[in-house]
Amino acid sequence: MPPQITRLLLVTVAIVVAYFTARHFLVPASFGQYGWYRADALKDYQLLPINYAGQAACADCHEEVIKKRAKAKHRSIACETCHGPLYAHANDPTVKPAKVGNGNFCVRCHEAAPARPEKFPQVVLADHNPGQKCTECHAPHLPTEAP
Amino acid sequence: MKSSQQSVSRRGVLSALGKLVAGAAALATARKVRAVTKQAVTTPAPAGYDPTKHQWRMALDVNKCIGCGSCADACKNENHVPRDPGYFRTWVERYIIKKAPHGSGEPCGETLVDSPNGSIGGFPPTLVPKSEILKAFHVPKLCNQCSNSPCDMACPVGATFRTPDGAVLVDPTYCIGCGFCVQACPYGCRFINPLSHTAEKCTFCYHRITRGLKPACAEVCPTGTRIFGDLKNAKPDDPLLQFYAKNRLQVLKPHLGTLPRVFYAGLDEEAR
Repeated sequence: MPPQITRLLLVTVAIVVAYFTARHFLVPASFGQYGWYRADALKDYQLLPINYAGQAACADCHEEVIKKRAKAKHRSIACETCHGPLYAHANDPTVKPAKVGNGNFCVRCHEAAPARPEKFPQVVLADHNPGQKCTECHAPHLPTEAP
Repeated sequence: MKSSQQSVSRRGVLSALGKLVAGAAALATARKVRAVTKQAVTTPAPAGYDPTKHQWRMALDVNKCIGCGSCADACKNENHVPRDPGYFRTWVERYIIKKAPHGSGEPCGETLVDSPNGSIGGFPPTLVPKSEILKAFHVPKLCNQCSNSPCDMACPVGATFRTPDGAVLVDPTYCIGCGFCVQACPYGCRFINPLSHTAEKCTFCYHRITRGLKPACAEVCPTGTRIFGDLKNAKPDDPLLQFYAKNRLQVLKPHLGTLPRVFYAGLDEEAR
């Protein structure tokens, strides 16, 4: 074989080997498992910490509150809607959840507004016992009853 | 003559090659170590989640939304979205459609749309007098997780991708923060995170749904506006299937052919 062909072959083999070596180290192992992306990115997302524990976690310990509001219209609302993210509390009950509002938290949902569905219970704040706190007359878990 | 003119010596090439191989090996080891530490310091997710065995969808009932902003607030809490107004993975828009002037021949007058701080903390009272309002409603918005997503077509580095279980995600290790996807999204659902400088958007709370929880927004919605489910594992009485059965559904901007995986019931023509 002429020496220039040998050299050409050697260079070609070197380039191919270099390409596959670089590819082996640079392309993540999971690339292409589901498509043209790194499948381990899905695992990275799964590993992110959660902050909202979910209703089932609340019901594990606070069954009495769930029972208490079973007849109330608020029964279908998740605890964390008003009480905020409680994963830390569910993991370790000594971590106390923050207090909810200052007695007028109800306004966020129940203040009359034209964009709200007509059937949704709403009050005009200026007419509905102005100056008083909602929680003076309404128990938040059972709003039709006094606290 | 040879040795005096040759600047590339055999010894030099071999040593450079050796260094290259050693460097690559060190890089691979470092990557492995990083992966192991990452696994150890983050919350363990249940092993064995198979994305090919799920198909997630969200449906929204516009008729039920009261615009309390709990969803937008919970989303920021859950996903550490910057608190500044302007960064939202989900938000609620208020549409106020005025009456048309008498004799104008139009069914509706001007449409006013606002979303102060993405609806977090609720909406301030509208300045439009009630007598001038024809109709008003709230429309919750989030990434539509399109099956034919324009954002991932615009990404020059392949950082955005569609998962087999019906989500569109961003690989932050690939994203270069160029912002093409932010411009490509016809729904305005993306932003560049000011801390990481990578593109961010709703992930359907991928870390929650893979643990068997609802997305944070659906979890806290007090009126049941947001219905979330898994079509591949839905029983006949599944709330999502019930919702599909009982409502006429629409998607946002259907003419763009993005094929969203987020559906709306009771959507008005004005909502886009």
